[in-house]
Amino acid sequence: MAQSSLDALLKGSSGRNTRGLLRILILCTIAAAAVSSRLFSVIRFESIIHEFDPWFNFRATKYLVQNGFYSFWDWFDDRTWHPLGRVTGGTLYPGLMVTSGVIYHILRFLTIPVDIRNVCVLLAPGFSGLTALAMYLLTGEMAPSPSAGLLAAAFIGIVPGYISRSVAGSYDNEAIAIFLLVFTFFLWIKAIKNGSIMWGALTALFYGYMVSAWGGYVFITNLIPLHVFVLLCMGRYSSRMYISYTTWYALGTLGSMQIPFVGFLPIRNSDHMSALGVFGLIQLVAFADFIRSFLPGKQFQKLLTYMVFLTFGLAFTGLIALSATGVIAPWSGRFYSLWDTNYAKIHIPIIASVSEHQPTAWPAFFFDLNFLIWLFPAGVFVCFQKLKDEHVFVVIYSVLASYFAGVMVRLMLTLTPIVCVAAALALSCILDNFLVMSTPKGAAQAKANGNESKSLRSGRNPLVGIYSYFSKAVVTGSVTIYLLMFVAHCTWVTSNAYSSPSVVLASRLPDGSQFIIDDYREAYYWLRQNTPDNAKIMSWWDYGYQIGGMADRPTLVDNNTWNNTHIATVGKAMSSREEVSYPILRQHDVDYVLVVFGGLLGYSGDDLNKFLWMVRISEGIWPDEVSERAFFTARGEYRVDDQATPTMRNSLMYKLSYHNYQSLFPPGQAMDRVRGSKLPTETPQLNTLEEAFTSENWIIRIYKVKDLDNFGRDHSNAVAFDKGLKKKRAAKKRGPPILRTE
Amino acid sequence: MRWCLALLLCCLLAAVNALSSSGSRLLVVQEDSTEKSLYSKLWADLESRGYDLTFESPKSDKLALFEHGERVYDHLLILPPKAKGLGPSLTPKHILDFLQKDGNILLALSGKSATSSAISSLLIELDIHLSTDRSAVAVDHFNYDTISAAEKHDVLLLQRPGSLRPDVKAFFDATPPLLAPILRAPVTAYGYNPKEEIPSAEDIQATGSQLSLVSALQARNSARFTVLGSAEALEDQWFSASVKAPGGKKTSTVNQEFAKQLTAWTFKETGVLKVGKIQHHLATEHAERNPKIYRVKNETVFEIEVSEYAYDKYVPFEVPAGDELQLEFTMLSPFHRLALQPVRRTETSTVYGAQFVTPDQHGIFSFRVNYKRPFLTNIEEKHEVTVRHFAHDEYTRSWAISGGWVWIAGLWSVIGGFLAFVVVWLYSAPSSAANAIKKTQ
Repeated sequence: MAQSSLDALLKGSSGRNTRGLLRILILCTIAAAAVSSRLFSVIRFESIIHEFDPWFNFRATKYLVQNGFYSFWDWFDDRTWHPLGRVTGGTLYPGLMVTSGVIYHILRFLTIPVDIRNVCVLLAPGFSGLTALAMYLLTGEMAPSPSAGLLAAAFIGIVPGYISRSVAGSYDNEAIAIFLLVFTFFLWIKAIKNGSIMWGALTALFYGYMVSAWGGYVFITNLIPLHVFVLLCMGRYSSRMYISYTTWYALGTLGSMQIPFVGFLPIRNSDHMSALGVFGLIQLVAFADFIRSFLPGKQFQKLLTYMVFLTFGLAFTGLIALSATGVIAPWSGRFYSLWDTNYAKIHIPIIASVSEHQPTAWPAFFFDLNFLIWLFPAGVFVCFQKLKDEHVFVVIYSVLASYFAGVMVRLMLTLTPIVCVAAALALSCILDNFLVMSTPKGAAQAKANGNESKSLRSGRNPLVGIYSYFSKAVVTGSVTIYLLMFVAHCTWVTSNAYSSPSVVLASRLPDGSQFIIDDYREAYYWLRQNTPDNAKIMSWWDYGYQIGGMADRPTLVDNNTWNNTHIATVGKAMSSREEVSYPILRQHDVDYVLVVFGGLLGYSGDDLNKFLWMVRISEGIWPDEVSERAFFTARGEYRVDDQATPTMRNSLMYKLSYHNYQSLFPPGQAMDRVRGSKLPTETPQLNTLEEAFTSENWIIRIYKVKDLDNFGRDHSNAVAFDKGLKKKRAAKKRGPPILRTE
Repeated sequence: MRWCLALLLCCLLAAVNALSSSGSRLLVVQEDSTEKSLYSKLWADLESRGYDLTFESPKSDKLALFEHGERVYDHLLILPPKAKGLGPSLTPKHILDFLQKDGNILLALSGKSATSSAISSLLIELDIHLSTDRSAVAVDHFNYDTISAAEKHDVLLLQRPGSLRPDVKAFFDATPPLLAPILRAPVTAYGYNPKEEIPSAEDIQATGSQLSLVSALQARNSARFTVLGSAEALEDQWFSASVKAPGGKKTSTVNQEFAKQLTAWTFKETGVLKVGKIQHHLATEHAERNPKIYRVKNETVFEIEVSEYAYDKYVPFEVPAGDELQLEFTMLSPFHRLALQPVRRTETSTVYGAQFVTPDQHGIFSFRVNYKRPFLTNIEEKHEVTVRHFAHDEYTRSWAISGGWVWIAGLWSVIGGFLAFVVVWLYSAPSSAANAIKKTQ
C-alpha cells in the first residue's frame, strides 16, 4: 500500500510536481540554514553593526531614512574629513543603503515597527538566502541534473568564504553584492543561451544594481567581455551572442553611468576598456559574418586579414594616444597591485597598509572553502568535458578568480561562488553516476539472456565497477562523510572566526567563562556624552567610521581613504614631536586625539603596531620631515623600551600611548604586553595635550588638545610652572667689571 | 523664581554700583594698614568710581582669592610688600589662576624695598623682566626733580605718554603681543642700584626706553595685569606735588589723573570691547539668519555688532584711523580676508558688515574675526559653517548651455532618424504574397 502511494507520488506528472515541491522545500531549508548560521554573532554578542565600514554604511542609511532619497543623493557630509568635508552622496555606492531603506519603508508600510539598525544587521543574512537561490539557478544552467544546483545552493549557503563577509551585522556592500554577482551571471548565461533581448536587458538591469552596490562590479564588466572574446576566438560567433552582448553592454553601461560615483568612468577608465573593445570587435565580427554570406571564400579570407590588421592597428594606436593625452584615465593603483603584489608596498603604502589587501596565505583557501577547494579542479574538468558556452564561462571565471584570490585576501569572496558551482558540478556528477545510474540495458539484457540460457557462472557479467552496490555504498558513504565534515567545519569556522563584531572583543577567563572587552564602545560613548557636538576627533583612519557612527563626532580622516595627503597629515602629527604636531592640531581645529593602545591587555591591533604605516604614509608626502629610519634603532629594531630612538620616544604617538602608563606598575616594572618589552622608568612628558579619558582596559585613550596658553607662554614652560619648577632667568650673571687698559 | 529674583537683584546691583565692566569688588593687598593713609586720595578716587574696597594684609589668614573655585574679588591691587613674599594665599600660581578666571591685577613695585622673589618669578612667567638686582632703581641725570631728589636723581619727570603706534587708541594720552609698555623711561634713564658701592656704567642692564616704568599685560582671555614700577607715584604727596626739572619751570604733577587712567584701564573701565549680535545670511531678502550651511558661490552677508565700554556706559566702537576690523573666511587658510565696514550705528554699538561670494570650494569654513590690539580687549570670534557643493538640481540645464546644443541636436537626430527608419522599414515590408512564394520555393 505504502509502495503504491509512493509510486503515485514519484511517477508521472504528479511525480514531477512532487519533485518540484521537494526542490522548493529543500531550497527553503537551505536558505533558512544560510540565514541561521549567520546569526551566531547576534546570539553571542548582540544585534550590533560590526567592524569599520559597516558603521559608515549604517550611518548613511540612517541619513537616508531620515532625510529622504534626494537629500541623500546630494549629501555633503561635514562630519568627516574635517575641514574638507566629503561629497558623500556622490562618492559612495548607494545600492546597499537604498536597499535597506526600501526594506525599512516597506516594513513600515506593513505597519511592522522595526528599527533601521535591525534591518541593517539582518540584511546580509537575508541576502545570503537569496544568494543560495541564485546559485541554484546559475548551477542549474550548467548541468541538466537539478542535484548540482541544490548542492551548489547548499555550499554557498554555509561556505565560510562567503560567511566571512555576510554574518549578521556585517553590513557591508558585499552583503548584497555577492547575490547580485551570482544573479547577474545567471541572467547572462540565460541570455547567451537564448539570445534573447529580454534576458540581456535583465542582465543589464541587475548589472546596474550591482554597479550601484559594490566597486567589485568591475569584475563583471571584465568577465562578460572576456567570455565573449574567448567564445569569438573559439569561432563560436552566433547571433545569440551578438544580441545578448550588445543589449547588455548598451543598457548596462547607460545604467552604470547613472551612479554619480561611477559617472563617466565606463568610457574613460582603463578598467572598463575591455568591454568597450569587445563591443567594437563584435560589431566587426558581425559585419564580417554579414560580408561572408556575399563573398566567395578566397576574397573573404584576404579581406578578413586586412581588416583584422587594420582594426587592431587603429584600436591600439587610438588607445595609446588617448591614454597618453589623459582622456582615458590610467590604471588605478589597486589594479597594479593586482598584478604585482609588491607594487603597493613600494608605491602606495596606504593600500598596502590595509590587511585585507595582503596576499592570501595558502591555508586560508582550505580554511574558507574546506573540501570544495579540491573538488574545484574536478568541477572545472567536468566543464571541459561538456564545454558549451556556459561551461567556457565557468572555466574563465575559475581561472581569473583563482588568480585574484591568491593576490588579495578580500578577493576570496569572488572566488567562492565559482568554487561552489564547480564543486557542485563535480559532486553531482559523481553522485548521479553512483546513485542514479542503473545497470545499463545491454548488460541487463545479457544477464537476462544468460539466465534464460542458464550458461556458466563465469560467463555472467560480474557485478563490479560502478554498478555494484558496494562501490555505490562506498562512494556515497564517503561523500556523505565529506559533506558532514564540511558542515561541521563551516559551523565551527563561522562561530569561532567570523562572528566577532571586532567592536566588542571576547576573551576567555582562566575558568573558561567568556569575558567581554567593551572598551571601544565605552570610549565612543564617553565622547558622545562628554564632548561638544562638533568637537573634532583626530585618530588614525581605521577608527574614523566608528567614531562617526558610534560617537557621532566629526573626524579628520576615516576609512574612505580618498585623500592620501590628509591622512599623511594625521600621520605626521602622530609621528612628530609635540612642537611640530601642535600647530597641525591647531590648524585642523582638533579638540581630542584618540589612540588605541593594547599594551596593558596584549591587544596586538593597536596604534603602535600600525605606527610604521603612519610614518611611511607621511614620509611619502614629507620625506624631509619624517623619516622611517629614525624610528628604528641602529641595529634596525623597532623598539619601545629605553633603547628606543629619541625620534620614537618624542613622537606624539609614543607619548600618547605610554602617558602615565608607568603609574600602573611598581617602579621600574612597567611592561608592554604586546611588544613584550620593559618600558623606561619615567613616563613621557606631555605638554600640549592632557589626558581626558582612558577606557577600562586602557585600549582607548583620549586626550584633549590644550588651548594656547593664556599668558603667551610655551606649553612646556606652563607645565613646568604648574609643576612648581622655577623658570631660569634669561640673563646670566656676569663677572665683575674689568677695567680695560689700552 | 528665586533665581530670577536673584538675577534681577544682581542686575540692579550692577547697574547701581559697578562702573567697571567686570564687577566692582576690589581687593587691596597692603602689608601695613598704617600706610593706608598714604594713598588716601587714591582710595577716595576709587570709591567715588563705585569700587568696593577691601583691605587685607598678605599675612592675614582670611585672605583668599577664591571661594569654592570662584573668584571672590574682581580686581586686585597689590602694593609692594616689605616681606620676602606675598604669603601663602598669593603665590604666583594663585595670581595666575586669578588672571585665568578673568580677574584684573594692578601690581605696584617700589624702589624703596627689594622686590620679592615670588613677584619676580611671577613676572618672569609673564615675560616681564626686572633688573637682576633686586633693589635697582631708575635714575636719570637729566629729567630729575630738582626739588625732592636733587642728589639722588631718582625722581623722574616724564611727559604724559603718547600712543604706542599711530593706529592704536591712546587711553593714556593727555598715555610683545600681549605686553605693552604704557610708560617708558626717558632715553637718558638707566637702572642703578644705589646700595652698590661702585656705580659702574658697564653693568647697566637696560637703558633709556628699554626700561618700562609702567607695563600692561592683557592675557588671551583679556584679563589685565599692570605693573607699576613705582608705588610712590600713587601716594598722596605726589598727586599734587610741584616739581622742577633741571633748567625747567616749576610745574605740578598730574599723577592723580594718570593714576585714574591707569586704574580705570586695569580694572576694565576703558578699552573693553563687547561683541553683540553676529549675523550671517544669504544676500537675498528674507533669507534665513545664521544658517548652518551655504553653497559654493553664494552671495553672503556677514555682520558683527561691536560696542566699547567707556567708564560708565557702552558706546559705539570706532576703529581707529589706519586700522581695520577684518573678517576672514577660512578653511585651513583664509579664502577671503575683508575689511569690515561700518554699516549702521545704534545707541551703544556699531554694526560692521561685509558682503562676499563664498569660494568655489566646499568644506567646513569659519567666519573669523580676530581683532587683538594693545589696550583693547580681544575679539576672537569663530563661527563654523558648512559650504556644500551644487546639488544635482542646481546645475544649469543642458538646453541652457549653448555649447551643448550640438550634442542635443545629435541626440535628437539619432532618435528621429531611428524612428523614421522604423517607419520606412515597416512601410516597405514585403507583401505576404512574396513570402508565400518564397515558402513554396
